[in-house]
Amino acid sequence: MKKNWIPGNIGLVVGIMLAIWLIAACDKMKTPEDDPGDLIGIAYAPQPYTIIKPDDFPPVPVPASNPMTVEGVQLGRKLFYDPILSTDSTMSCSSCHLSQGSFTDHKAVSIGIDGISGRRSSMSLLNVAYVNNGLFWDGRSPNLEAQALMPVEDVIELHNTWPNVISKLKVHPSYPALFRKAFGITDRDSITKELAAKAMAQFERILISSGNSKFDEYQRGNVDIFDEEELDGKLMFFDEGASVNLPDGQCFHCHGGLTLTGNQYFNNGLDSVGALSEFKDKGRYEVTNNPNDQGKFRSPTLRNIAMSAPYMHDGRFQTLLEAVGQYGDNGFGVSNEDIFIGQMGFPIGNGKYSGLSTYHKKAITKFLETLTDPDFVNNPDIQNPF
Amino acid sequence: MLLLALVILAGLSGCDPKEEPISGIDFDVTFKATYDGTQLEKNKDYMHGGYPLLFVRYRMYLSDITLLKADGGEVKISEAEYLDFTPDSGASDMSVTPKITFKNVPEGMYNGIRVGFGVNPVNNAKQPSDFADGTPLNIETDYWLGWKSYIFMVLDGKADPDVDGIKNLAFSYHCGSDPVYKIFTFNEHIHVEQGHQGIGIEFDIRKLFTNADGSLYDIPINPASSNSVNDTRVANEFMSKLANATTIKQ
Repeated sequence: MKKNWIPGNIGLVVGIMLAIWLIAACDKMKTPEDDPGDLIGIAYAPQPYTIIKPDDFPPVPVPASNPMTVEGVQLGRKLFYDPILSTDSTMSCSSCHLSQGSFTDHKAVSIGIDGISGRRSSMSLLNVAYVNNGLFWDGRSPNLEAQALMPVEDVIELHNTWPNVISKLKVHPSYPALFRKAFGITDRDSITKELAAKAMAQFERILISSGNSKFDEYQRGNVDIFDEEELDGKLMFFDEGASVNLPDGQCFHCHGGLTLTGNQYFNNGLDSVGALSEFKDKGRYEVTNNPNDQGKFRSPTLRNIAMSAPYMHDGRFQTLLEAVGQYGDNGFGVSNEDIFIGQMGFPIGNGKYSGLSTYHKKAITKFLETLTDPDFVNNPDIQNPF
Repeated sequence: MLLLALVILAGLSGCDPKEEPISGIDFDVTFKATYDGTQLEKNKDYMHGGYPLLFVRYRMYLSDITLLKADGGEVKISEAEYLDFTPDSGASDMSVTPKITFKNVPEGMYNGIRVGFGVNPVNNAKQPSDFADGTPLNIETDYWLGWKSYIFMVLDGKADPDVDGIKNLAFSYHCGSDPVYKIFTFNEHIHVEQGHQGIGIEFDIRKLFTNADGSLYDIPINPASSNSVNDTRVANEFMSKLANATTIKQ
């Protein structure tokens, strides 16, 4: 019938074009389910990834359910830096965890895609592989694989849904192949949030100190590397200064070991409250429901602390000296305040302590600056791959 | 023919296992912290003479746990264990009771158990990085860089010696370094047999705060163990008292 009003060969040409358009449109409408085994042609030969760490650091814990591979780390690194995880493709994990800030964002509290401020400061991811007693300030996530799932769907952070992220990853030009190479999936429909989280966890496990900070040099025996003030600070930090008339800083009790974190939760004496229920941020209590955990937070690593201002869970202190100064005043005596908060300085009898002088606070601050590890933040393997 | 026999004999002897495989059973040991016989509870008031005190942390290392046979033989069931009675992970302040199952323990009646309190000197000369992930001695937060020693026992709390209702006296006894490592033997009949319950090992903290003459430890005078590796007096005192504070329960 059409031939009656379309002259000559024009009808045939239009018909062919229509057919081509229809075929193309149908192909675009194909769902991954229509193409089982679409990734089989891509080689799956994962190579074990050896995490580089300082010799004196403990072995990096890696769960048997998520072995480290070169391909897994590569995928995790891309996901970590890719704003595809947020609803409007404006923010990624790296927006709040900047490598040059030792994977913090220099804000008192982080701000999500809608411009809404969160409650807490972003935590450094340096040596996060060693955190074994809950992630986040309150420990609400048991491991990196579980943690990586949370910011995507947090309405204040990336404000997305995993189904939405997964649907974008499935039709992405490169991600299906990367998932295939990392996890051996045979078709793009097998991409899951759990695999995405595993990959990001693998990337986060390589965020390990270089071992080249001034403090590390000192630990290796180069004791002349510290000036007098730094050495005094170190002695107070580790409570080793009594013989040279230095007070105890008591710092290492909560920031111990070579990673300088305790993996435990403390009321570190920031606020004076009449009752524990008056803490504005309940901290660890929100996870345990133990009333004595109100106002307690996980002690973060102090490595690269000079690069990760502002300080505390709410970013209340702009400088390291302010943060140290707060500790040197021996807290407020709140009932669940950690016992070491009240023990800084020289003993003055009856279990009382003098607190720290201005010099002592400054010396501890100077020591903390020796924990700076520029080689870590400049490591090319952990930078934005885009 | 003789040569053939010798070759066969040599082959057979080569197949023989040099040692009998160790056969044994699972043996459970449940560890418990108590105060005056009842299970320790964090943040709970206990009376210390005329004033209240409370505990917030109690954890310790044990080494070379060894069952002793009547004939003088020994079976070492563990080289190192880490016990944290007061982890900060639960809604309850009641201390936890870690249960450890030791594998392949030969069945029989034993006359006692020997326990090293702390980390034995061989292992204490090492550091957490020398031990595999997930093993007790890999825990770096209870390793003291300054002393180059594990912290053998941590006992922290607060007291109110002037009874004004405010516990403003903090005490902290962190005991470590080779000189305060203790080995104690407890002579108890221990039955290791299939179907037989394991044993309990209890540590009564009140006894750590009780002097040999029965008087109570003066906390305000010595509210903390020294941080000097050359002054282990207080640490030694607490570690020594573990002999009396430890009870084996069948």
